[in-house]
Amino acid sequence: MRLEKSGPNVVLLSLTLVALAAWLGLDTVSVAANRIVPGTGYRVDEVIGAGGALATALPWLALAGFAWRPARRHLLLALVLVVLMLSALPAWLALSAVTLVDAPQARLGIGAGIWGVLFLLLLALIELRTRLVLSRLLGWALLLPPLASAALCLARWLEPLALWQEYRGRSGQFLGAVGEHLLLVGVAVGASLVLGVGLALAMRRWPGVQKAGFGMLNFLQTIPSIALFGLLLAPLAWLSANVDWLSALGVSGIGWAPALLALVGYSLLPMVRNTFVALEAVNPGVIDAARGMGMSRGQVFRQVRLPLALPVILEGIRITTVQAIGLTAVAALIGAGGLGTFIFQGLGQAAMDLVLLGALPILLLALLVDALLGALTDILRPGGAE
Amino acid sequence: MIDLIHVTKRFGDAVAVDDISLSVARGELCVLVGTSGCGKSTTLRMINRLIEHSEGEIHIDDQQIRAFREETLRRRMGYAIQSTGLFPHWTVARNIGLVPRLLKWPKAKVQARVEELMALLGLAMEAFAGKYPHQLSGGQAQRVGVARALAADPDILLMDEPFGALDPITRQSLQDELRELQSRLHKTIVFVTHDMDEALRLADHLVVMHQGRIVQQGRPLALLREPADGFVESLLGGEDRGLKEAALLPVSQRMLPLGPRLLARERIGQHASLREALSVMLWRHAERLTVVDDDDLPVGELSLRRLVGVRSDE
Repeated sequence: MRLEKSGPNVVLLSLTLVALAAWLGLDTVSVAANRIVPGTGYRVDEVIGAGGALATALPWLALAGFAWRPARRHLLLALVLVVLMLSALPAWLALSAVTLVDAPQARLGIGAGIWGVLFLLLLALIELRTRLVLSRLLGWALLLPPLASAALCLARWLEPLALWQEYRGRSGQFLGAVGEHLLLVGVAVGASLVLGVGLALAMRRWPGVQKAGFGMLNFLQTIPSIALFGLLLAPLAWLSANVDWLSALGVSGIGWAPALLALVGYSLLPMVRNTFVALEAVNPGVIDAARGMGMSRGQVFRQVRLPLALPVILEGIRITTVQAIGLTAVAALIGAGGLGTFIFQGLGQAAMDLVLLGALPILLLALLVDALLGALTDILRPGGAE
Repeated sequence: MIDLIHVTKRFGDAVAVDDISLSVARGELCVLVGTSGCGKSTTLRMINRLIEHSEGEIHIDDQQIRAFREETLRRRMGYAIQSTGLFPHWTVARNIGLVPRLLKWPKAKVQARVEELMALLGLAMEAFAGKYPHQLSGGQAQRVGVARALAADPDILLMDEPFGALDPITRQSLQDELRELQSRLHKTIVFVTHDMDEALRLADHLVVMHQGRIVQQGRPLALLREPADGFVESLLGGEDRGLKEAALLPVSQRMLPLGPRLLARERIGQHASLREALSVMLWRHAERLTVVDDDDLPVGELSLRRLVGVRSDE
């Protein structure tokens, strides 16, 4: 509290200083003659000269100044500055592309400096949003100017950007992969939700099931994902060879079937655990009152226990979904498709930008789902906390 | 109205309630009092079948409680508990309307009943109807709990330490409100508490329980004057019994008509208890008090000799 009143905002100040160091000290972009050869890195001063580099330090110093005296007015100015700087990052890439890239096959890579600054600026944005107590929606709206700037730069100047080149080579494939990824995650989470809630209910009724169930799910969780895909290969191959309708359905040792089974297996533990704990943790006094008032068992469950448990159950769905989005990337190894395909192709071809083309959307999807389900949980908590 | 006939409850080998018999007459407030684990809550919960009794019979209006469906039985009885058991995800109005809705009353009737009850318990409709339980103070929440128990206008009210978690001042004002409410509504109430002062203040019929048995039952004054054994005596406060008894008797019972003497300077209301009168005498170093009515007009006088002397009702 003391810091907030008079002293500097330490979080924002340190973020700013570290980001400034990353900006000036690390390579912001790299240029490679073609797709395979490693690129040459360029620091800020190597792109626009030492004087220009010093000039780019000015907004950072202003930001540090606002952090030093964090009155509300200063924090608002800092917020505007952070949004502007985020919007300037694509412009910096555009400037580098125009000045550094001359040959048509040459490619522009995004350097560690830009990634670092992007990450630190987003953290600063979160810090400012919290300090200024802005709504969730407004927080998201603040990302619109940087996104618009990125879209504009991509359309006009960023032809040589390696990531963009990789995407352009696979634009059809890319949308398909996103679709496959989401389908796998959706079906796996949906199936584990149905199974998980069923299992949690069975565990509440029969304590024996509870012990055995949690034991098995915990064990399942300890198997490394690649090993689990391997273990499923033989039995599924046998099944598809011997059961006609399964092979007609497209089940085989590799592909979507083992991927889905493994994903459901991994998703069950967080789903069951959250559902079970949520249902058990409802205040016994409330349940006692509900029964004492003459509610039937079904009414107690539907009108009291389930609604009170819902925020925690949703929390389980959120964790499970984020986890499944990450795990599905590995499923590409056994031919299940999805964004993981690009990651493994890129690793195989030593093309890091192709890896990024797979990894970045996975990251964005996870963040998006996290935010959406988090907002839903807030909405479903009526009248605030208990 | 409520009859327990040789009722026993066993949990495995442990006997929680041991062969008790108890009758609660219509319109009577019966308080079960005793130390923790004496079986008083179990007894209460057997009446609405939250716990099934092992032996004996429990009757409501001369019908065995097992003749009813559990839910039907419970909807006929109001139920209020210590932590209030209000549903945290429902507004105050929705909480109060619970049993009427379970009984499928028409919407308008439920709404009217909720408004009526909130007025009865001094909860302003516009201020409280839309609030959630966590926005209420302990006393307000407990009022909502009582309103919810009264919602379907049941003849019987079961209350399990409803004021247990409240601070002493709120607790006493709610006790007064309950007495006042009862003098108008005449419900048949079974009330469980471990607080003897609360029990003495509220009870028409006082039942002392110990280790699953009823040790003594009767009118509070009768128990105070003739405790059955050492346990009841100590529960009733031992040497403090005199003060507890004085707290139950109004000044008007002991006062004398105004005599020819000068009025005493210190005054006491005629509805105050003898205990309060004694306290005033001690505090003011006075031997005589002038008893006044609600308009502060003298109606009699009370002397220390008279206060501690011969009992007027014997």
